[in-house]
Amino acid sequence: MTALLNLWQRFKHAILALQRDLGVRLLALYVAFVLPLIGMVLYFDHVATQRLRSDVETANLTLASTIAQETNLTLGSLLSAAQHLGSEPAVLESDVEGMRSLFAALVNDRPEVNLVYRLDAQGIMRYHYPEEPISTVGADFSFRPYFKRAQNSRLPFFSRGRISPTTNQAVVTAVMPLWDEHQNFLGIVGINVRLESLSWVLENISAAHKPEEAFVVYIVDNIGQVVASPNSHDLLTTLDKRAPALLTLAHEGQAGNAIVNQDNHTMLYSYAPIRSAEWGVVVGRSTESAFATINLFRHATHLALAVVVITGVLFWFGLSTQVIRPIEQLAAYSKAIGQDGPHDPKQQKALERLYNRPDQVGHLARTLVRMEADIAARLQELRTLLQTSAEVASTLDSRTVLSRILAQVERLLNVQKCAIIAWDEQKQAFVARASRGLSARYAERLIIPRDEFNSLTLRALQTGKPLQISDTETDPSAVGLRPRARAEGYRAVLAVPLPTQHTPPAALVVYYPEPHTFTQQEIDLLTSFANHAAMAIENAALFARSDARLQEQTRRLEALIQSMSDAILLEDHNGRVLYANRRLAELAELPPDEISGVEVDRILARIIRQAQNPTAAHAALQRAVEEGMAEIALRRQGRLTDWRVQFFSVTDVQGVPIGRGQIWKDITADREVDRMKASLMSTVSHELRTPLAAIKGYVSTLLAEDVNWDPESQREFLQTISEETDRLSQLVTDLLDLSRIEGGSLKVRREAIDLAALIQRAAQNAHPAPGENLRVQIPEHMPPLFADPRHIEVVLRNLIENAVKYGGEESPIQVSVTVESDQVVVRVEDEGPGIPPEHIPHIFESFYRVESGLTRQASGAGLGLAICRGFVEAHGGKIWVEPRAKGTCIAFSLPLTPPDDTTA
Amino acid sequence: MANQNKATVLVVDDAKSLREFVRRNLDVRGYRVVTAVNGVDALEKFQAHDIDLVILDLIMPQMDGLEVIKQLRLISNVPIIVLSALGEETTKIQALNRGADDYLTKPFGVGELLARVQAVLRRAQPTTSTTQPTVIVRGPIVLDRERHEVTIHGKPVALTPTEFNLLEYLMRNAGKVLSHSEILRHVWGPEYGQEAEYLRVYIGRLRQKIEPDPNNPRYLRTERGVGYAFEA
Repeated sequence: MTALLNLWQRFKHAILALQRDLGVRLLALYVAFVLPLIGMVLYFDHVATQRLRSDVETANLTLASTIAQETNLTLGSLLSAAQHLGSEPAVLESDVEGMRSLFAALVNDRPEVNLVYRLDAQGIMRYHYPEEPISTVGADFSFRPYFKRAQNSRLPFFSRGRISPTTNQAVVTAVMPLWDEHQNFLGIVGINVRLESLSWVLENISAAHKPEEAFVVYIVDNIGQVVASPNSHDLLTTLDKRAPALLTLAHEGQAGNAIVNQDNHTMLYSYAPIRSAEWGVVVGRSTESAFATINLFRHATHLALAVVVITGVLFWFGLSTQVIRPIEQLAAYSKAIGQDGPHDPKQQKALERLYNRPDQVGHLARTLVRMEADIAARLQELRTLLQTSAEVASTLDSRTVLSRILAQVERLLNVQKCAIIAWDEQKQAFVARASRGLSARYAERLIIPRDEFNSLTLRALQTGKPLQISDTETDPSAVGLRPRARAEGYRAVLAVPLPTQHTPPAALVVYYPEPHTFTQQEIDLLTSFANHAAMAIENAALFARSDARLQEQTRRLEALIQSMSDAILLEDHNGRVLYANRRLAELAELPPDEISGVEVDRILARIIRQAQNPTAAHAALQRAVEEGMAEIALRRQGRLTDWRVQFFSVTDVQGVPIGRGQIWKDITADREVDRMKASLMSTVSHELRTPLAAIKGYVSTLLAEDVNWDPESQREFLQTISEETDRLSQLVTDLLDLSRIEGGSLKVRREAIDLAALIQRAAQNAHPAPGENLRVQIPEHMPPLFADPRHIEVVLRNLIENAVKYGGEESPIQVSVTVESDQVVVRVEDEGPGIPPEHIPHIFESFYRVESGLTRQASGAGLGLAICRGFVEAHGGKIWVEPRAKGTCIAFSLPLTPPDDTTA
Repeated sequence: MANQNKATVLVVDDAKSLREFVRRNLDVRGYRVVTAVNGVDALEKFQAHDIDLVILDLIMPQMDGLEVIKQLRLISNVPIIVLSALGEETTKIQALNRGADDYLTKPFGVGELLARVQAVLRRAQPTTSTTQPTVIVRGPIVLDRERHEVTIHGKPVALTPTEFNLLEYLMRNAGKVLSHSEILRHVWGPEYGQEAEYLRVYIGRLRQKIEPDPNNPRYLRTERGVGYAFEA
């Protein structure tokens, strides 16, 4: 089943393949046309042959019948003559004289009769006419078969053919038996008919036929003996040998035809009976001649068929070699068109042969070649355009792209001169943005003002369509252009506007040295180039714009990063600096422009070598790399600085790592604050613990049981405890004040104050007290001053205490009050060593002390001046240090008209 | 005790009240007391007198206490007790590292002060013990109690009395893990037991002096959270 299906499939494929073959299809068409034709011809041939054959046979038969009829008539008349003679008394009575006249009349009347005779009842010749030359009278002829037959017959009949002994000629005899009224046999009367005379007719017929027809005609008797023939020597021969079958038919009294193969040729025989004598006529002729027409016709038909077939084959062959094969070759050739690389040499050769043919195939081949050239040209154009596109897309330098586009235009359109003319903002005119082949002079002078309406370029730009001048010498619109065109050597110009949107208008212009009408194809191609050029110009312009924006942004970012106080570094995967800001360069002690590309390890080494403890710093750096962050102390410009270094991986927008970043942050100030906090804690702790220690010490001393202290000592101890308690209390008050000042919750209770009295009280309460060293200067008439007396006393006391502490025991202390415009200024001065200038800006800060570390010049928490400032500022005044050549002067002011707000 | 009572104590504090409190209490208990108001003054007084013990404040004008310890340690092994208002451990360790023998945080009672004074003086005294061998040999380390001398591979090593006592105690109990409080009680005195930082400082100092590589100690082994042991 599968095999069958397979076979079917293969058959189908073969059929399909054949269907695809034009030659086979034509052949099939031809066969479909010719086969019925052959059939028809063969049928016609067959029918026509039959008809012709029957015609021939009929003609033959008719001839035979005609001869038979005629002979029958002759023989019939002879039989009648014999019957007539038999009734004659002279004959019956064997009267010689009577017979003579009777017989002579008959012989003379009928030329075919050569003898009339009378036999008696015994068969003895009684008389014959003519009587001479030979007389057989008296001869016995009773042996003759016809005599015996006559003894039993009453009717006349013909004897068989024989040689008459009387006339010595071949004869047949019309025999009339003679009988008397008593039925006695009297003998016979016979009329000898010369067979030659019967043959005369046949001779005439035979003579009408050509010898090659092999025409034969015989009259044969019932035993097959030839009784008449055109050839006299055939007479009385037997025909059996020649046509045995015919005789039977003829003797049966039938007419018909028969074809008999004789020796080496075929004969057509027709036969017809001669009833009166029981004879037959046989007409024969060679079939070759009989059927010559038929054969001719058949040959003609066969020839015609052969011609049709051969012509068909030849036609098909011719069609195949002259049309189909060339078409196939052309098809194969056309298939290879558009594929890169040269054609198959065989194909190429075949095409060349076909190309030179003058007929339609040649035309087709030439068209194909032309088409191929066209395709190649179009492909080249497309490639060039593609290349141009790629260049436009890949290059942002419009100048480069434009000159490349012009180069392509030059190559593809085979022009020597072309240019891109664009609006120039600076020159306020259209100028050649790029050109090729134009003289430098021409290109330079190519400046078209905006209102130059005659300019082809401007007209093209206005209409937005390509415009051309086919010949500058004949075009009336080119009159103005003509001198320049002549000078530059061009005759035809085409301007194609560029479809620019974001950039000033521009056009692509090409020049031809000869008059030239630009084809639509050329214009289309140039339009494509114009589009590309527009794209290139726009790309470049847009890029330039976005680039400028990007650069601006980058500059801002750069400025931001460069201005950062933190040092920033970005390293690539190879451990080299990708980017570092100025601060980092500074940290690494390298010029900023030399840092890029340097190995990061080298940078780090340069930083680490500044470390206070390089080993520790190295370990810290290692920790930073591993844990992300570490702190390193560096000594920079003689100053110890603290840095926090942070490592982090840097990824792009997609999260792909692009390197590692590090930030070095100067945390010296933070550490300073930490240290200050620690210092504050230790200060407060010290200031609180010192009086506490004294108190606890003395209390424990008093409580100790191993020593009995005398009352004086006890009193002394208790006195110290009391003083230290006051100190502690004062410190707590100061801290609270400071906390209120810094917390903004200080309440100022203003009342009219007596400044002189406040100064005295502050001096008394000061610890240490100024004693005799204090001098107070105050105007006699002070305007009333509204302030919080407790605050002002604290300020004064603190300043006096400071003056005592820092001025030294011997230093005079002066407190002076002045009224300046709308404020009162109080100055507290000593003649001590003064405050080092670098500390002056800080002395009003809380817990700021001039000394550092654990060294204390004088006791105190460093709160005094900060509290002073807080109180003074809460009153709307100011506090400051006044410069003095020797000693310290701290001044503060209080406004005479206090602000409404009583809360600082 | 009589011997101790004859000790001369230098009391250094800028706060008069506290200075007086210490002076009066030591004085009444038989110590000779010399006072100084700041570091500079203290160093001068130390040179001028035969001082057995220094009681020192840290926060002082002109020269602070830490600097005084440093200066004193350049010239002497005299016991030093620090009195300070600064109670942070860092300061304590700093002081001990510089060579202070004890540290008292203000405020304190007179009893505590006297106990520390006695303990420090006692430690400074070379103890005469008959029951124990005077020479201990552990590996290359030889400790001679009588001559108050320690050698490693025959090279003498200078140790303070407390360092010497600590090493001796550890060597005597070589191979045994000794707890912090055990060591403190035996070396510093029965008043001690909680001052683990003292031990840290002294073990550190001993390691600097006797270990070939102080960062990877061979002899003085730390039992984390428990104490220390000597491995010969």
